[in-house]
Amino acid sequence: MPEKSYNKKIDHDLGIPLQDDYFYNEPEEIIETNQIKEIESAVKLSEKLKTKKEKRVINADVLIVGAGISGMQAALDIGDKGYKVVIIDKTSTIGGSMVKLDKTFPTNDCSICTAAPKMVEMSRHPNIELITYAELNSLEGKKGDFKANVWKRSKYVDPDKCTGCNDCVEVCPVDVVSSFDEKITTRKAIYIEFPQAVPIVYTIDHENCVGCGSCDRVCEPGAISFLEKSEEIKVNAGSIIVATGFEVFEPTEMRREYGYGKYENVITAMQFERLLSSFGPTEGKPVRLSDGKKPKTIGWVQCVGSRSKQLGFPYCSRVCCMYATKEASIVKEANPDIGISIYYIDIRAYGKDFQQYYDHAKDLGVRYIRGRPSSIYENKDKSLTIRYKNTLTGEIKEDTADLLVLSTAIIPNRDNKKLGETLGIDVDENGFFKQQSLLNNPIQSTKDGIFLAGCIQGPKDIPDSVSMASGAAAKAVEPIKDRERHIGKDFPAEIDVTGEEPRIGVFVCHCGKNIASYLDVEKVTKAAEKLPNVVYAEHVMFACSEDSGKKIKETIKEKKLNRVVVAACSPSTHGGLFRDTLLEAGLNKYLFEMANIRNQCSWVHSDDWDAATKKATYLVKAAVAKVGLLGPLTEEEFSIIPKTLVIGGGISGMKAALALANMGIKSILLEKNSKLGGRLRELHSMFPSDTKTEDIINPLIEEVTKNKLISVMADAELVDVDGFIGNYEGIIKQNGKNKKVKFGTIIIATGFREIDLEGAYQYGKNTNILSQTELEKNIKNNSFKKKPKNVVFINCAGAMDKKRPYCCRVGCGVSLKNAKLVSEKFPDSKVYILYRDMRVFGKEEEEYYSDVLENHHVTTIRYAGDKKPKVNLDKDDPKNSSVTVKVFDDILNEEIKIPADLVILTINVEGEVSTESLKNMLKIPADAGGFFMEAHAKIRPLDFATDGIYLCGAAHYPKNLVDSIAQAEGAASRAAIPIMQETMTGEGAVSEVNKDLCSGCGTCESVCTYSAIEIQPRSDNPERSVAVVNKALCKGCGACAGACPSGAIDQKGYKSNQIDVMLEALLKEVTA
Amino acid sequence: MQGNKEIDAIKFKEGGLAAEVEELSGENVFACYQCGTCSAGCPFIDDMDLGPDEAIRYVMLDRKEVLNSNTIWMCASCYTCAERCPRDLNITKIMEALRQIVLRKKIDRTKVVKITKKEKESIPQLAFVSLFRKNIG
Amino acid sequence: MKLLYFPGCTLKTSAKNLEKSAFAIMEALGHEMVEMEDWTCCGVVASLTGDDLMHHLAPLRSLIHVEDQGENKVVTLCDMCCNTLKQTNLRVKENPDDLETLNLFMDRENDYKGTVKVIHFLEFLRDEIGFDVIKKKVKRPLKGIKIMPYYGCMLLRPREVAIDDAEEPTILGDLLSALGAEVVDNPFKIECCGSYHTVENKELVSKRAHRITTFATERDSDAMMLSCPLCKFNLDTRGKEAEKMFKGYKQIPTYYYTQLIAVAFGLDLSVCGFENHAVDPTLLLKKRGIIKK
Repeated sequence: MPEKSYNKKIDHDLGIPLQDDYFYNEPEEIIETNQIKEIESAVKLSEKLKTKKEKRVINADVLIVGAGISGMQAALDIGDKGYKVVIIDKTSTIGGSMVKLDKTFPTNDCSICTAAPKMVEMSRHPNIELITYAELNSLEGKKGDFKANVWKRSKYVDPDKCTGCNDCVEVCPVDVVSSFDEKITTRKAIYIEFPQAVPIVYTIDHENCVGCGSCDRVCEPGAISFLEKSEEIKVNAGSIIVATGFEVFEPTEMRREYGYGKYENVITAMQFERLLSSFGPTEGKPVRLSDGKKPKTIGWVQCVGSRSKQLGFPYCSRVCCMYATKEASIVKEANPDIGISIYYIDIRAYGKDFQQYYDHAKDLGVRYIRGRPSSIYENKDKSLTIRYKNTLTGEIKEDTADLLVLSTAIIPNRDNKKLGETLGIDVDENGFFKQQSLLNNPIQSTKDGIFLAGCIQGPKDIPDSVSMASGAAAKAVEPIKDRERHIGKDFPAEIDVTGEEPRIGVFVCHCGKNIASYLDVEKVTKAAEKLPNVVYAEHVMFACSEDSGKKIKETIKEKKLNRVVVAACSPSTHGGLFRDTLLEAGLNKYLFEMANIRNQCSWVHSDDWDAATKKATYLVKAAVAKVGLLGPLTEEEFSIIPKTLVIGGGISGMKAALALANMGIKSILLEKNSKLGGRLRELHSMFPSDTKTEDIINPLIEEVTKNKLISVMADAELVDVDGFIGNYEGIIKQNGKNKKVKFGTIIIATGFREIDLEGAYQYGKNTNILSQTELEKNIKNNSFKKKPKNVVFINCAGAMDKKRPYCCRVGCGVSLKNAKLVSEKFPDSKVYILYRDMRVFGKEEEEYYSDVLENHHVTTIRYAGDKKPKVNLDKDDPKNSSVTVKVFDDILNEEIKIPADLVILTINVEGEVSTESLKNMLKIPADAGGFFMEAHAKIRPLDFATDGIYLCGAAHYPKNLVDSIAQAEGAASRAAIPIMQETMTGEGAVSEVNKDLCSGCGTCESVCTYSAIEIQPRSDNPERSVAVVNKALCKGCGACAGACPSGAIDQKGYKSNQIDVMLEALLKEVTA
Repeated sequence: MQGNKEIDAIKFKEGGLAAEVEELSGENVFACYQCGTCSAGCPFIDDMDLGPDEAIRYVMLDRKEVLNSNTIWMCASCYTCAERCPRDLNITKIMEALRQIVLRKKIDRTKVVKITKKEKESIPQLAFVSLFRKNIG
Repeated sequence: MKLLYFPGCTLKTSAKNLEKSAFAIMEALGHEMVEMEDWTCCGVVASLTGDDLMHHLAPLRSLIHVEDQGENKVVTLCDMCCNTLKQTNLRVKENPDDLETLNLFMDRENDYKGTVKVIHFLEFLRDEIGFDVIKKKVKRPLKGIKIMPYYGCMLLRPREVAIDDAEEPTILGDLLSALGAEVVDNPFKIECCGSYHTVENKELVSKRAHRITTFATERDSDAMMLSCPLCKFNLDTRGKEAEKMFKGYKQIPTYYYTQLIAVAFGLDLSVCGFENHAVDPTLLLKKRGIIKK
């Protein structure tokens, strides 16, 4: 639990109010809440209660049910566009399931560190209203005009008075099983879910509270308020987004052979995440639940309850293979002595960088065993015996595991059926919400105006949830697009600090255990107090948390600080957050400096307490020295051209353009071929519903062409682009002619292509060896000359090898679909699929797989990566006759020879040919496979690090139709934000040219990668030149400042004198 | 597995073994995705030459050598595999189908039972009845 | 209460003690069990192939005779009989066409109307008597004995005819607790004993008995309790033979649940037929002072 974050209690008698900017920053009218703050006597109270008979009404634009990562992403997207969002969550905090995780795959980023900034942004957003501990009671109305009744339960704690000090928890006598910690520990009846909770208000669990009043007696601010009633709030909204997330299946009724609930050391994977979490019950140590000791061996059993036609759920839960790999590799890396095994059937490492992550886990020593255990039993010492067959070696074995983790199925939230009835939307047979059309409209539920986001539609990982949430945001804006919008935060007027002596406040962050376990935070703070100009120094548990933000603002006001130093993590993590805190306190955001005592200190010197403490002290000293010399900076404002350029006219590009048009935004749809449709033109049908491609793209092409807001440019390519976000000027070559266009944002939807196999598997040498695309073309055109007797599909051709270590994600599904097509066209043929893992993970895909196997009698043969199948041509007629396929069956451990009349290769894919040129033109990165690299693999999958450019579809990574459409609509939502904001501000720390020193040599222009500095003729003397900075384009990288031979360029915020004092501060310490 | 002249003489169409098994048992062997659960839970796996999962794979691959294995005779129809199979395959019925294919050709597994008088008197009747029902056509 | 009873062949021969003790219990509970008329061997193994109706004839005939006697419920003591009769009952209920064929074939019998419910004696004790009633009647609580309940296959599988949960059954454990004994859980309680392999392949069955018993003794179990006559033979007789195969191995005694109930009720020990065991089960009871030496 967090320590007290205040050194001294706020003295209410002195009338110093708490900042009230963190909870409701409502632009609309809110009635009674303001009055509850000042209740002093019972008489006044009863009067207030009388007036409370009226229900509070909130007029919003969008109502979002569920505030996990999906709900939050959707809320932020819509709020950023200027619409009002009301978001409710049934628990007492936002954050959802993502905050329960320790780290996320495949980047191993700390989960709470990536989610918390979004949570704090939610609490600070002027257009978002959070109603936690609330549920939806009823819903009436239709799209554009919904009337919802929200039941907000009382927390019995006054949010304005609670300081998060934790005194109440220490005296509460009631222990309740904690659902946040997945039942492996208890909490009190008064509690906060986790330390970084937003809103940071303790909650009394009414059902378990015994009413003893102990909490009330110890609460100094007097925040406990048993008279605070639950209330029904009426919310009017135009659209609704449902993002209520998932739960984890507990095998207590079904699949009892695994001993869950019977044996202490058998736990679910979510429980294991809580063990690994630094703020979990064991503070990050994986221990056996029976005795709290470190386990010698840990085992993971996959597919418990998933992929089960009986005693479970028939679908694949999509994320378990990866989270088990993640948990296993994290534990193995930290504890190489622990024996780790994962028992699986297929390892579905299908996503971007997933296969490489899986390979790395194997390198670390994680044992992967292909064999689903039959039963688990407990030994005398409470360890478990796992009985399984290793299907790749044929042995029956019994392994011991001190701790057994079950990767159980992802099931829909238990309240789903009830919520579905309240909303009037359909639930499918597994309990997930049904979409209107899986392949055409995966985000729209079965009722118009209600949209689905995240796992509530089907299990999925974080990037896919976030993409879908952005897509839901785009769709939710359609019914309300013409409503009034309100952009931007209203900050208090900036305090003028010119002429003042620096008064510096230093806040040193514990970052939980991340910093405080490796260096003496207290000592660093004490040393900071003694520094010149420092008037206040203290250490806090999590500087990025909401209550620390409050603290910083209060301290700024109280101590009249005019400069702030935060010693914590990297500026790229929370720098923006702290700058916003300064703005809210009325200070210019550039009067701020961070000392990175985490990434640059505690993380790299974790084995030397004294040295790390000393280094942290120097870093703070340097930051303090610099901040004293920092002055306020201004940011340039510029307008946005309200048009988006969508590059690529395939399914993703078209869906993105349509989503933009439905939000009222113009777009240019660029397609290099003469017709729209992309790859779907070549294909026959899509899985898992076997819909014909023409039924998907033809209506779509018609809709796009008819739409007045979309201007389609076919036979066109982007050849040059200039400018920056909001102000792009591009040259498009169409039919040989160059055309100039202007646009504000760009969406890249260029898709993918098959790689060149370079003759592998004899591809190209025989007319009976085809690619999947060629097969579909032939089936479409009915151009098969003879009936094939044996058809062999070879998956993973050119994939997951040294050259291309990645998985193509869609190959398994495509091969199943085409196996079905072939078997339907040639019912007498025998179809084989040679595979490495069967990676069918999406909604309804596992059921499709089951159907193909059973009803079409397809034989699947597994082969190992180092023993690839061989295709042998016939000596007499190598070009046209049948071939022989030799494959080493990994399960039967013998070579199988199949005479094949038709061989279909599932060829790996890479980024489209245009990747290279686009990469350079737009200055955006792409990986070795030619796929563009997003800003953050988990929570910013649709953005680039460069603002204004967005990504969707197979250009990001190959994906199936459902995921492509969700991403495309998501990218449209992202691209619409700057346009709807209408203006943007640039960077404040830009370069500045001293005209007197500048010789006009042009060195700076040549080193600038953003084309932000230009040599122009002087205004007073046109014969001579001078460098001029474009403040809108300048990113503040400092390259020009470093390159200038005359020393004429200084970068604001990093001026020479400011750097000099840092060096002095550091070196003085050393020489002393 | 030892070859057996009588069993080897049983003829099937191409793909007929799986079809015959499906007809007799009502179970579609192609549904199997070789997870190994059945073999891991089988009480007699140590004495079988093919595990139940391998036997099913043989049927899938149209290999009638599976009829020569002792697997189908070692099976005691304890239903453990059928209860746990994630594909909801009733492997007990599949084993019975394989036995019936042999037995209905009048190829008996148990020909003469040599046991002592004492054994005959102490072994429960139901053991004899079930043995003969299972192993004799 | 008068209950119609289907013995099956084994109950009349090798498992006479099971029948005798069950009748004694019924008397002690104040109920009557009456052997049904004209029953035949059930055939032991349920017909497993879709086209095999022949093997359903024998069980069906017995069910018809239950109806003929004006009853709609019949109780069995043998696990295998229970399973086979229940499976046949289920088959004809779900496939009325098959029932018609069978009825027509057995033209000398009355038609089966599908009204009979087949229950196992354990189900009767649990559902219609109640273990709390049994607990009240206990005069000699089995204090100090650690017993592993053994279920075998036929009581619990397939799920459609099971009398308790197939992976985590509690019925025998609950019964043991009612009798005052200490229940030892054992993951092998639901494993197959070897069944009919005991005729042709007795070493295999001895190995099974050894494995199951070792799990029990590792968990400090003194004895095993079971309900099936074949399981009892396999664990008891074949288990004793395993003593020759595994050095230092000693087979622990096995009891039918009816014998233990009879002992606990304080009934005369002659109804238990303890002399028909390979491992003398009276020694343990004497040692713990449950019965006199």
